[in-house]
Amino acid sequence: MNQIIPTRLTIVLIVAIVSYFIIILSLLKHRKLNMKYTLLWLFTGVVFLVLVLHPMILVYFLRLCGITGTMNGLFILLIGFLIMLVLSLTSIASRQAGRITKLIQTQGLLEKRVRELEEKLEEK
Amino acid sequence: MGTTNKKSDVLIIIPAYNEAENIENIIDEITTGYPQYDYVVVNDGSSDGTAKILKKRGYNHINCPINLGIGGAIQTGYRYAKEKDYRIAVQIDGDGQHDPAYIEEIITPIIEGKADYVIGSRFVNKEGFQSSVTRRMGIKFLSGLITVLCFHKVKDVTSGFRAVNKFFIDVFADNYPIDYPEPEAIMDAVMRRKRILELPVIMRERETGKSSINFKRSIYYMIKVTLDIIVCRISYGIRR
Repeated sequence: MNQIIPTRLTIVLIVAIVSYFIIILSLLKHRKLNMKYTLLWLFTGVVFLVLVLHPMILVYFLRLCGITGTMNGLFILLIGFLIMLVLSLTSIASRQAGRITKLIQTQGLLEKRVRELEEKLEEK
Repeated sequence: MGTTNKKSDVLIIIPAYNEAENIENIIDEITTGYPQYDYVVVNDGSSDGTAKILKKRGYNHINCPINLGIGGAIQTGYRYAKEKDYRIAVQIDGDGQHDPAYIEEIITPIIEGKADYVIGSRFVNKEGFQSSVTRRMGIKFLSGLITVLCFHKVKDVTSGFRAVNKFFIDVFADNYPIDYPEPEAIMDAVMRRKRILELPVIMRERETGKSSINFKRSIYYMIKVTLDIIVCRISYGIRR
């Protein structure tokens, strides 16, 4: 059989991906990750698992894109995924910044109301 | 003193970030000279004792626990205006650059229903403090950009001296540009097809303290604001 990825490397990659899943699952279990933001990570893992098990898909896909060299292509793919992940993190950070702003404003407005109520109480 | 009772339909919003030296002058000027208006100081997480002064003097104020930046502070003011159902909001800087004497002039077109958004502009009559040459160039560029993008000429796009009607109080309470909000807020107003008016005012040089935009930051400012304006224009699409 014409091997695209050597058997040894396949085993190493599978072990790596499985431990990647275990880490993610344990983080999820201890509620250190939000499922909402973990989906992309899980999806990435699944894609890579499929690619390792069926390297032909990768080879076909890379040929389609005009990328030569399987390992090369794997790196390009990986970097692509990383960029997407970082972008999604930036978007999450931006959205949270907006929400925090709203919260701070609300807190400020509430603090004013509490302060004034307290002043009124003292006057009585 | 620290009253919550609304006595006017006009609210003056004064954002203040580390303005301990200026804030008393400007508020006293408003409360003694123009007591017919309500005002609120938004203390934007100052670290220099601004909060203490506000409390000691019993000024009507809101404390933001964390620094939000000018946009977030002004939006707090707009949210307060919306909550209290004000019909007109005026924003002036907390550093004493803006003379409260002009408030009446810039709210008159709104009261008369002739405008929705009024900008107090340094450059209409070119009187008073005109800012440095480089800054004026930057402002000209941004002004030109807005003109090209939405066919509406506003000369002093960075002026923080503005008055808006109820419509914009509600709009800005929900959504106000974050960092350097002034030019983008104009875009918002233009793209909503509202009537914008630019009236001449004379600005003073700030009394003490430093301007929030130093030389290094001005490059960042120009790039960011330019992109903000372009993105804002794109997000409104072709509809006008």
